[in-house]
Amino acid sequence: MSEAALVLEQVRTPMSGSSHHLEVDLCIASGEFVALVGPSRSGKSLIIALAAGLVSPEAGRVVLLGHEWSEASASEPSHVRLRVGTVLEQPGLLSNMTLFNNVLLPLRYHRGAMSDRSREHAVMAQLERLGLMPVRDRFPAELNHGEVRRGAIARACMLDPEVLLLDDPVAGVDAEMLLVLRAYVEERRADHPLTVVVAMRAWSPFIEGADRLVVLRDGRVEADGPRDAVAEVVPAALRRYVE
Amino acid sequence: MIEWVGRKTIAGATYLAALATLFSQAVLDLVLPTQQGRRETLRVLVRQILFTGVDALPVTSVIALLLGIIIVTQAGTQLPRLGAGGLVGSIIVVTVIRELGPLITAFIVVGRSGTAIATELGTMSVTGEVVALRLMGISISRFVIMPRMVGMVLSMLCLTLYFDVVAVLGGYLIADAQLTIPFYAFVESVTKALSTTDVLMTAVKGLCFGSAVAAVCCHHGLAVRSSFTEVPQQTTRAMINSFVLCLLIDVVVTVPLYL
Repeated sequence: MSEAALVLEQVRTPMSGSSHHLEVDLCIASGEFVALVGPSRSGKSLIIALAAGLVSPEAGRVVLLGHEWSEASASEPSHVRLRVGTVLEQPGLLSNMTLFNNVLLPLRYHRGAMSDRSREHAVMAQLERLGLMPVRDRFPAELNHGEVRRGAIARACMLDPEVLLLDDPVAGVDAEMLLVLRAYVEERRADHPLTVVVAMRAWSPFIEGADRLVVLRDGRVEADGPRDAVAEVVPAALRRYVE
Repeated sequence: MIEWVGRKTIAGATYLAALATLFSQAVLDLVLPTQQGRRETLRVLVRQILFTGVDALPVTSVIALLLGIIIVTQAGTQLPRLGAGGLVGSIIVVTVIRELGPLITAFIVVGRSGTAIATELGTMSVTGEVVALRLMGISISRFVIMPRMVGMVLSMLCLTLYFDVVAVLGGYLIADAQLTIPFYAFVESVTKALSTTDVLMTAVKGLCFGSAVAAVCCHHGLAVRSSFTEVPQQTTRAMINSFVLCLLIDVVVTVPLYL
């Protein structure tokens, strides 16, 4: 748990649609489950985008699994990408592929040596665990929001990532499937060390198992720590995000 | 005025440099050996050839046939008045095989497939599919651009040659039916006028047009940022710029060779 999986060191970067700047100093240990919570435009999604190397900070450093994202390296360091599963607010399932083929794509592309049969078994297992088997042959346009999001999470997990970055993973997910999703992440964390960073717009049972909550407002960390400790120190206006 | 010209020149040079970068990266992806994503990329390539090449055969056949008929009708009725009735074959070679064949094929491909590529990539950008591919460690150049570019170049080359053959056939049909030019006389007239350079130049034009159209359409598709309303705007730009670039390439290839 001691080695850092993600470090945002004195990061400062402008936030689109807001006059504030994101200013954070954050270190997430390997195997930790951290939930970023707070109102809209507080900088949660921006932290996910910074961690995924999609945005370069104006100042400071972002280091993911020992790799520092910078302008020069942001092009295509695929060896890091393969160790990280990311699902953004827009899940980005390929619209010309069925859900099954979408989830299969990372294996087809990166695991050419695997047999077709093993790849398909692996995908079936993921879809089964996330309750997506009945809709596996549907195209993304035929799925509801929750199914799309769960499909994107299944796809992000296909290469057994060491870090999972999820931006609002429960949007559109119904209460039953939310528990399925939580159990899925917990199972994966039990299987092997997995660092999970989740951005959440509202409190959800999905983050009950989080080791740490980081409460954000206007680009700044208002509170950081285990849920109970955070609940005590967080300003009253933000309490609803941790309770 | 000078400032405006300077700005436009810089913008044009930047645009051409972006196209050249896109194209050279795709060529590198094609020639550099890697096992990663080979089958998936091949799948995209085959789909592109089917859509751009095979699916375009009917419309290309009709347009080529009609063009051949129109040109031979005009040539066959006007040339004898000038005492040049034997030049019908030359007219077909000069107008269709050297010029109109490659150009009209390019216009067909731009209208059918170029716009489709720009729209598809634009939509993929807006819906986050392009970013999702990047996040999965899948190279956009290798998986998205290269197969579309190769598919379009191969399809354009084959369609151009096919267009020429069908247009000549259309010309023969009208020559035989209305102008009573016998088959052998028509073929002899065409083959006499046709040189190896003509065929090579047609092929070169097909390759250049295919590369240009693919690069332009991929560039404009990926230039879409955050709104669906940008998709038709970029598609229109891709179409117009493809037409202009094809004509420019045609001039660059034709003028030094035939002038």
